[in-house]
Amino acid sequence: MVTNPQDRLRNFSIIAHIDHGKSTLADRLLEATHAIDPRQMTSQVLDSMDLEREKGITIKARAVRLEYTADDGLLYGLNLIDTPGHVDFSYEVSRSLQACEGAILVVDAAQGIEAQTLANVHLALREGLTIIPVLNKIDLPSAQPEVVMEELESVLAIPREEVILASAKEGTGIAEILEAIVSRIPPPKGDPAAPLKALVFDSHYDPYKGVIVHVRLAQGTLHAHDRIRVMASGAEAELLELGFFRPQLVPVKAMRAGEVGYVATGLKNVREAQVGDTITTVAAPAAEPVPGYQEAKSLVFAGIYPVSGEDYPLLRDAIEKLHLNDASFTYEPESSVALGFGFRCGFLGLLHMEIVQERLEREFDLDLIASAPSVEYQVVLTNGRGIVEVDNPAHLPAIIDIEEIREPWVRLSVVTPSTYIGPLMELSTNRRGSFVDLEYIDPVRVLMRFELPLAELIVDYYDQLKTRTAGYASMDYEEIGYRAANLVKLDVLVAGEPVDSLSMIVHREKSVSIGRTLAERLKQLIPRQMFEVPIQASIGSNVVARETVRALRKNVLAKCYGGDITRKRKLLEKQKEGKRRMKRVGSVEIPQEAFLAMLRTDEA
Amino acid sequence: MPLPVPGPPEALYIHVPFCISLCPYCDFVVVAGAEARGPASRIPGYVAAVRRELELRADTLDARWGAVGSPTRPRLGSLYLGGGTPSILPPDAIAGLIRLVELRYGLADRAEVSLEANPGPDDRGDPAALVAAGITRLSYGAQALDDATLKSLGRRHRAADVVEAVAEAREAGIESLNLDLLYDVPGTSVEGWMTTLDWALELEPDHLSLYALTLDDPDAEGLTGPLGDHLPTTRGARRWRDTARAGQDEDRAAAMYHHAVHRLAEVGFEAYEISNWARPGHESRHNLAYWERRPYEAVGPGAHAFDGAVRRWTAARLDTYSNALTPADGSPGRLPPGGEEALDAASAAAERVILGLRTSSGLPAEAMAEPPLAEHIGWALAAELIDVTADDRIVLTTRGRLLSNELFARLV
Repeated sequence: MVTNPQDRLRNFSIIAHIDHGKSTLADRLLEATHAIDPRQMTSQVLDSMDLEREKGITIKARAVRLEYTADDGLLYGLNLIDTPGHVDFSYEVSRSLQACEGAILVVDAAQGIEAQTLANVHLALREGLTIIPVLNKIDLPSAQPEVVMEELESVLAIPREEVILASAKEGTGIAEILEAIVSRIPPPKGDPAAPLKALVFDSHYDPYKGVIVHVRLAQGTLHAHDRIRVMASGAEAELLELGFFRPQLVPVKAMRAGEVGYVATGLKNVREAQVGDTITTVAAPAAEPVPGYQEAKSLVFAGIYPVSGEDYPLLRDAIEKLHLNDASFTYEPESSVALGFGFRCGFLGLLHMEIVQERLEREFDLDLIASAPSVEYQVVLTNGRGIVEVDNPAHLPAIIDIEEIREPWVRLSVVTPSTYIGPLMELSTNRRGSFVDLEYIDPVRVLMRFELPLAELIVDYYDQLKTRTAGYASMDYEEIGYRAANLVKLDVLVAGEPVDSLSMIVHREKSVSIGRTLAERLKQLIPRQMFEVPIQASIGSNVVARETVRALRKNVLAKCYGGDITRKRKLLEKQKEGKRRMKRVGSVEIPQEAFLAMLRTDEA
Repeated sequence: MPLPVPGPPEALYIHVPFCISLCPYCDFVVVAGAEARGPASRIPGYVAAVRRELELRADTLDARWGAVGSPTRPRLGSLYLGGGTPSILPPDAIAGLIRLVELRYGLADRAEVSLEANPGPDDRGDPAALVAAGITRLSYGAQALDDATLKSLGRRHRAADVVEAVAEAREAGIESLNLDLLYDVPGTSVEGWMTTLDWALELEPDHLSLYALTLDDPDAEGLTGPLGDHLPTTRGARRWRDTARAGQDEDRAAAMYHHAVHRLAEVGFEAYEISNWARPGHESRHNLAYWERRPYEAVGPGAHAFDGAVRRWTAARLDTYSNALTPADGSPGRLPPGGEEALDAASAAAERVILGLRTSSGLPAEAMAEPPLAEHIGWALAAELIDVTADDRIVLTTRGRLLSNELFARLV
């Protein structure tokens, strides 16, 4: 493996709204530079996780080094740093962008600018990156390159002369993109003789090599025998190996300022070298880390429990192992009267929560129940006793001790055809949101901004947004801090017993309607039991909704099975398995879906 | 818990997999249409194959338990020809099968010899010939007693046919007569069911089997593979079941069941099993053998046998069955493929409790202190699913019968 001189390096990433063709473009670039043998080419090469391929999204950042002989006859090393496409992972995106000097902005020629296009471009501009605009999918009959170029010019001030027309699917425009990377993106800077500063933009755990971090060297040189220090965590290690991504790991002896590669640290836990941290050498440490490091911040919290209590030790092991690979979720043991022993986990967002739960279930073969997600509230106690943070509604202090409850708010950007302005205004108003402003992107599409409580967003806002706009609207959001609100705790009693995992913190004005909806949903989800089961929603001692699951009348094998006793037994075993998958609360068997009842409510 | 102990069979089941037409709710092993009558009928080939199976199974039993009639090899107390529609077999074929069973398995004095029949004029057979062949008990698949319900169930016969069939059977001197009826049929009402039961009683049967229409999915249960004991569900039947399920109603079903319990008790029928009622002395000995877990032999495609320790079944597909027993090249033939399951002590104990509780005689009081019942007895008593009788037997209450799976699913 050759290491290129600094002026023959280019570090770039590809930014795009979901489904605009980022992964396909990456595949074409890999092919065109022979980074991958065409016979081994699968689609979405960089998305190696099963879940990523199934969902068609990128969850983890990836990097790959391409060798490209440009039209000037010189060989360049191009480091492509792939970024996650979902808003939940925007912190990872921003760190990946910090490792680059340029970004290819992919915009679907039929769809035009979407919410994440805007968010990603703003992130890239904030990092001072050179942007290479690419209109993708120009082969589509519905492509409108003229309209979209107009949008880019008016909304993002991108001159149309800079835009490259491409079809990653058909391979058109790829050569032009490669040339633009070399000619438009500046080479990295940074003094190879200065003390080492290597920005960690991704990390994963390898059972043989320990924590492997993906780094961009901002300055200095790293040698294969160096002892390293991770500046924010303070961890030190004798490094095991360093090298480039081709995309498989290829070791090298040294890496200099401007390079992108991996470092096998031998560390045992990704927490010791998290995304955003800076690596330096013990021998000649840098004085300051690369600025801007922050710990991944959990926005959404939920309890994760094994369906059967005896699986708790398996869940504990699974969470610990998964956390080695994904330090962006947090966990701590918690117990619930209804669900037994489990963990309270914090996630970057709802998609992240879904991914973590699915990975735990798939990779560790577990059956899990997740309680309804919650945000983190700040509760100001009376008599100046300070502020407590509450991410589990069941732990809300008694009303008498509460001076004030504050909840996190977000600023939401929505890009939509202008015909849906009305429905989206209504949606946000229903969700306690306030309209901020509106801007026309082109004659028929607008960018709308709202502010609303995060708690209202995580229920099913995204689904509602898609439903109300026939799938056309896209969204992005950022946190804007905490605001006081008139919030109360809504409790649920099943057969007279409070079910702590079903408690929610809701706005007082909406509490009655939410209570009713929740009780109705639970009535649908809880199967008939041997006795009548009352379901109540209450605020304090005030019951605001009541439903009844009628008693089961018949559950019997009353059919002629003749001498086939085996089949009878199998049918009973299946019922037993069905019961095992339910949670017994008091005398009532509650299926897993009931604990997520509020996530699936229709708008009242 | 005692380990299951094998023993010689006390009953024999012959599965006859032919019907003139398929009923969409039925998932017994059946072929119909041109395979069941006319020039392409597969009945003669089947009769040859099942006779061969009877011989081969008897050879095995002879070797294992000794000659028929010896102290270790009692004669059978029951022979049951079920289906399908065994009444569409030619009378001489039925007579021949019974003679072969008598010879190789033995039939005890006053053995129960049952045959299932349809009430329709072209498939109920000739009761006089059946009695002459040795049949003592006839079981008619009446299912309903009004033409609208019969039609909605896809049955070929009409209510009047049932009346005629019963009269003919009595005329021929059948000792014991059963009617099968279905409840919780879409489109029916509790009042309609009350009338049906009254009409059924007017026919003076000795035995009534009342089954809830149960729309299972044997494909989903994994029973219909090449060596499975069921045949795949046809697309038409699947569609019919999907529609019919929507027309079922557990509250209505429970009301119908409660009415039957009440009405049949009034006229002296005993509910001797969850789905079976009989006048005293007319309980089906064959079915009791299943529920009391006595060993039984079985032949025919999809048939299930039990030797007291191992449950064994034969693959359902008729080709597979016939090819094994009566190979085209004339070679002697071998036992057909299938599967078996050796019961461990726990499964055997669970079966004993479940099957025992399904019957009116229930279980001895000692069973309360033993697994698997011991751990659930308090709950089941409190939930009023079970009761202890004056003579110290544990039995299901009527509520307990209707909710029996809630208990049984905890016992398996």
